[in-house]
Amino acid sequence: MTFVRNHLGLILPLFAILFSLEYLMLFDRTLSRYEVRLKEQYSVVLVAQKDVKTKSIANASSLIEKVEPIDTGKALGKLARGMDRERVEKLKAGMPAFYDVKLKRYPSGKELERLKSALLRLKGVKRVLIFEKVHDRLYGMLFFMKSNFYIFGLLVGVIGFLLIVKQMQIWQYEHRQRLQIMALFGAPLWLRSGVLFRMAVVDALIAIVAVAGVILYLPYNTEVAALMREMGVDLSALMIPRDFGLIALMGLGIALFCALWVVLRFREEL
Amino acid sequence: MPSVIQAKELKLAYPRHEPVIRNATFKVETKDFVFITGASGSGKSTLLKSMYGAMEIGGGELVVGGMDMRSLSSAKLYKLRRHLGIIFQDYKLITEWTVEKNIMLPLIIAGYPKDVCRAQAGKLLSHVKLTHKADHYPLELSGGEQQRVAMARALAHNPFLILADEPTGNLDDYSARVIWELLLRANRELETTVLVVTHHIPDMYDAQYRHLILENGVLHDIR
Repeated sequence: MTFVRNHLGLILPLFAILFSLEYLMLFDRTLSRYEVRLKEQYSVVLVAQKDVKTKSIANASSLIEKVEPIDTGKALGKLARGMDRERVEKLKAGMPAFYDVKLKRYPSGKELERLKSALLRLKGVKRVLIFEKVHDRLYGMLFFMKSNFYIFGLLVGVIGFLLIVKQMQIWQYEHRQRLQIMALFGAPLWLRSGVLFRMAVVDALIAIVAVAGVILYLPYNTEVAALMREMGVDLSALMIPRDFGLIALMGLGIALFCALWVVLRFREEL
Repeated sequence: MPSVIQAKELKLAYPRHEPVIRNATFKVETKDFVFITGASGSGKSTLLKSMYGAMEIGGGELVVGGMDMRSLSSAKLYKLRRHLGIIFQDYKLITEWTVEKNIMLPLIIAGYPKDVCRAQAGKLLSHVKLTHKADHYPLELSGGEQQRVAMARALAHNPFLILADEPTGNLDDYSARVIWELLLRANRELETTVLVVTHHIPDMYDAQYRHLILENGVLHDIR
């Protein structure tokens, strides 16, 4: 029982830290993908009295990715059914010019307001349609999700860190007797600390495998999979092998640091 | 041949305290069996600690195994300790290790192969009459049995000097006799130098031992 407790003392906080790290990286990527999708679906429509050069519209803000004129002929298609060609042409000539303004990223409400003002300052521009209601709702939701994920991840990380600090203090107490006795019999540093380092590496490996297992299982969880489908995000595509390397490095790094800290803090009792 | 231990006007003191040992001048030669006695708190254990480098030298000289304890680097100190057999009053056994592994400790430190360590531990376990407890953990043993394990550990690597701090202080008669017999055998058969700090010299010792008494911080060689 003591053996299991000793190992869980490091495995659990390490698992919490590594999982929160991977969780943050994964959800950051998920939200970025979702943001890209939102951005692709979202556009600003500019209405001008007469044709405006697309280049001058694009230059109005660094947020603009591209500007495409909307073909008014298509818009008139249904309306012009049954009308003669001359009247249609007249109607077309009297219609304002429409432009579809695509953005580089999904903007905040303030950025959108600034963009609107910049576009309205262009000569000939009558109106700028930014569809605030839809935008604000989506942006609010995105911001809420992002903040929550970061706070949750950070909280788990902090709790994990505090547990690790506690475990280091426990180790310092638990291993003191053995380190002390081995020092009295002349054991060199590497031999004295060998048990501790071995234990740290084994615990780190268990925590790394556990985190990798949970992350790899996520796409097969029906609830997670449904949520991702809803968001239009392929979770498997977001899992990058590099993440596992990073987790392994971080897990081993933390565990070895803990062991080293205990060894270096050891002072022979006189 | 140089003395195993050589002390000249040795002074020992704990930080911010009056010296415990004010003047200790003595020599311990190879194959000597030495008892150091004295009242409680007279500094016997402190004196012993200085011999394995667990106590800073406050003044004078102390040479153990040819090494000057005043200017010993930690690497050299550990090297010296690898050739000492130390028995503590509180046993100092590693509680998460089995009895057998505890006895193997000095051999593991010396880098012997596992089978050699096992064979030597087995031999010593039979000497201290604890073969049947090889796989037990120290806390499953009585105080007397634990001290016999500590005794076996001290002998495992054939040290040139055994330092024993009240080795039979809290033991039953049987365990105490086993300890004294083994110390005597190590001294007679293996020619190991033995230095024991104790309150009473046991009856079983004949005239071939030396006796130093510590009184008011001064060591007197009385035999």
